[in-house]
Amino acid sequence: MASRKLLLGLTAGRRLRSRTRQLFSAANLLEATTSPSLPAAAATAQPSGGSPAALLFSPRTISSTRQAAQSAGDAPGPSTVDHKLIMPEDEFHKLADEIIHDLLGKLEEYGDSIQMDGFDIDYGNQVLTLRLGDLGTYVLNKQTPNRQIWLSSPVSGPSRFDWDAATNVWIYRRTGANLVQLLEKEIGELCGTPVELS
Amino acid sequence: MMLRAAGKRLLGAAAGRQASPAGAARRGYHERVVDHYNNPRNVGAFDKDDPDVGTGLVGAPACGDVMKLQIRVDEGSGRIVDARFKTFGCGSAIASSSVATEWVKGKQMEEVVAIKNTEIAKHLSLPPVKLHCSMLAEDAIKAAVEDYEAKKAKLEKADEDGTPAGAIRTT
Repeated sequence: MASRKLLLGLTAGRRLRSRTRQLFSAANLLEATTSPSLPAAAATAQPSGGSPAALLFSPRTISSTRQAAQSAGDAPGPSTVDHKLIMPEDEFHKLADEIIHDLLGKLEEYGDSIQMDGFDIDYGNQVLTLRLGDLGTYVLNKQTPNRQIWLSSPVSGPSRFDWDAATNVWIYRRTGANLVQLLEKEIGELCGTPVELS
Repeated sequence: MMLRAAGKRLLGAAAGRQASPAGAARRGYHERVVDHYNNPRNVGAFDKDDPDVGTGLVGAPACGDVMKLQIRVDEGSGRIVDARFKTFGCGSAIASSSVATEWVKGKQMEEVVAIKNTEIAKHLSLPPVKLHCSMLAEDAIKAAVEDYEAKKAKLEKADEDGTPAGAIRTT
């Protein structure tokens, strides 16, 4: 169990961080590890008790599959695309905050108008949570490293939206779904009353 | 010991967490998630260069989630005989990938690509904000299968093309 202790234990966190810095680009890793709340739980086992704080992934494996075809982190594979080149962070925040605040306002009005039991909308720590009583809960948040907005829906599950500059909307590349239209359709159907979110 | 402490802290944090501002029920990790966190199944790695092994690597460190899922396939039957995973991420991500390795064992590749994130999420009672972890696990399974098939196709093509130039044919 000693080896497990080393790898899963939080004291190994420091060593793990310095090791992983060698594997991943420093910039990306800084975002991931400077947050104290990031639970760097690396599940791995070393029966022979080999090198302590063993690398999660040897450089060999990390450079393997899925290097090509990165669509802003949505396709499987570690993200090798530098999203800072795709969109500057402040621009992302501006666009994402705009849509989220807009949705927040419209959903609040909707909630007031339909008087539904268990309807609750909450915005805290830049996470928008919409509870629809027993019908389920929506969670909408920014995923800044990927320049995406992430949605969790009780109807369609998880989806990740990228900004489409050509049409000025947020699109889930896998399905082509438009964030605002998806929410309008789902929430309208769930609550039984159409909602206007655009 | 650190593992136990971390585990207890996890449980403690979950148990002690107060209701959200909206007054909803207390949140915590489902016992299945805690189980997979404390007793992860199939942790480890295969040799990625082994022709029977497919490796799926998904996620991004910047997001705080990386999963590596590997399958060992029996060439004759196309059945997955063994699986391993290594995951960097939250308890739900670890549990999702651990469940994924359990579910792919003994199945045909066509079967495992039908495993949906919703099934994993339901099995672990993942809260809405953690559904993304189950999606990543589904992606990891698909990536592993794709990798195996790509490798196989490449090897078959190499066989067809004959031995490389400069090699000595003995037959």
